[in-house]
Amino acid sequence: MKVYVDPERCQGHTLCAMIAPKVFQLDDVDGHSSPISEDVPADQEELVAEAVRSCPERAISLIDEH
Amino acid sequence: MSAQGAPQGEERKRNRYDFDRHAPGYRERFVEITEEMQSRCPVAWSETHGGHWVVSGNRELFEIARSAEYLSNDHDVKGERRGYQGINIPYAKRGKGMRGGFLEMDPPEQRHYRQALNPYLSPAAIQRWIPFLDEVARACIDEKIEQGSIDFIDDLANVVPAVFTLAMMGIPLRNWTIYNEPAHAGVYTRPDSPEMPRVIEMHIAMMRDLAGQLADVRKNPRPGLVDALVHAEINGQTPPDDELLGVLALLIGGGFDTTTALTAHALEWLSENPGERDRLSRERDTLLDSATEEFLRFYTPAPGDGRTISADCELAGTEFKEGDRVWLSWAMANRDPSVFPEPHTVDLDRKGNRHNSFGLGIHRCIGSNVARTAFKRMLLQVLDRMPDYRCDPEGTVHYETIGVIQGMRQLPATFTPGKRLGPGLDETLEILQKVCDEQRLAEPVTVRTTRADIPR
Repeated sequence: MKVYVDPERCQGHTLCAMIAPKVFQLDDVDGHSSPISEDVPADQEELVAEAVRSCPERAISLIDEH
Repeated sequence: MSAQGAPQGEERKRNRYDFDRHAPGYRERFVEITEEMQSRCPVAWSETHGGHWVVSGNRELFEIARSAEYLSNDHDVKGERRGYQGINIPYAKRGKGMRGGFLEMDPPEQRHYRQALNPYLSPAAIQRWIPFLDEVARACIDEKIEQGSIDFIDDLANVVPAVFTLAMMGIPLRNWTIYNEPAHAGVYTRPDSPEMPRVIEMHIAMMRDLAGQLADVRKNPRPGLVDALVHAEINGQTPPDDELLGVLALLIGGGFDTTTALTAHALEWLSENPGERDRLSRERDTLLDSATEEFLRFYTPAPGDGRTISADCELAGTEFKEGDRVWLSWAMANRDPSVFPEPHTVDLDRKGNRHNSFGLGIHRCIGSNVARTAFKRMLLQVLDRMPDYRCDPEGTVHYETIGVIQGMRQLPATFTPGKRLGPGLDETLEILQKVCDEQRLAEPVTVRTTRADIPR
């Protein structure tokens, strides 16, 4: 699975990093999110799915490559 | 407030609802009105206040609020552009001639202001202040811990956000009392109240202090949000003082009453649900974040914002015309059952909680990290130091109307007394002022990355 944060949509609500801190990092200056790595470790998939469901701007996509 | 029957006038305004956010009935019948609007007219035309749209459906709000190309926040106080009236519906007479900072601006100016202030307010910037916040909350609780009774508004939830906001701005902490009362009373006092002249007087004193701070920081530079504004280049220019004062007033308004309202409502709910309070305290490592988001969703301290449609368009199935006024109800959209199952229930570990309490799109509350952090630090100390507190419903006073902030004026509580841990509030603020000055705590995160170090 790969995760993508749309920088045009993200407004820095920070919920994703609260839910999956091992996957999302927040910019020090404006708090906008980006994935630490686009490849999601298997043990993080559930948390990333929850981050996708919780993003107020619907800026996160989780893409199944299979 | 009621639904209206036969369509009249323009076809595009056929879904009608008589809506008044300032009416006492809106607070009393909030759930009923929300359910009625969402099921019948999630985008409704209301003839009240000169006629405006009201968006209560979550999906509709999501589409409309994020359509920056068709929405304007502009408050054109000098009649230089298109005469738009900013974010208040009805137009706030008290705010006439005063632009509400970058919340009443559009890009690029709005973006330039946020870029100037973000490094003071980002998650990384706010993390540095946790020891400071903990010390202010500790002192507030110490003032009351031996007597076993507290008013959570007067003695805690008003104080911590006020002192913290001034600290970040670079304004002397002891001045918090100049700002505290007008910041709250200006929200809950009805325009026709006999109290209003006194509130206006306090508001004038607050604005005079802000103007003085602006001048003082120019003369004797010290770090903080005021300094950031003094040096901000907005569209390549230094903005005039009246515009900067509007920004400073926005920071005060955004920083004070909102976090107070969130904290008060959460403490009241936890008193009414002691089993959930104990669970939250026990499972704080996994539950505190989701509980905070749920209190934000359920109580939505700032319940909505106005916009002006800047070009003819069709959004969420409704035809809008340039100049139309639109009320975006974050509070009602946060109760939409199509997005939030059992929306009128507080569920501390709610999943998929994509609430709108900090707004949506480019105007996302710039203080969202301030609010969350201050709230959590206050709540944790209450849970630790007065775990059996009980609020007194007889003495509790909610704001009569929820048009601006869904807040509270009084929230008295009793608890098993405990021991003081340190000095009282005044002495603590003197110590913290020194820390602010010596460690330059109010520098942006781009300049100082280390946490506050509080001597004890």
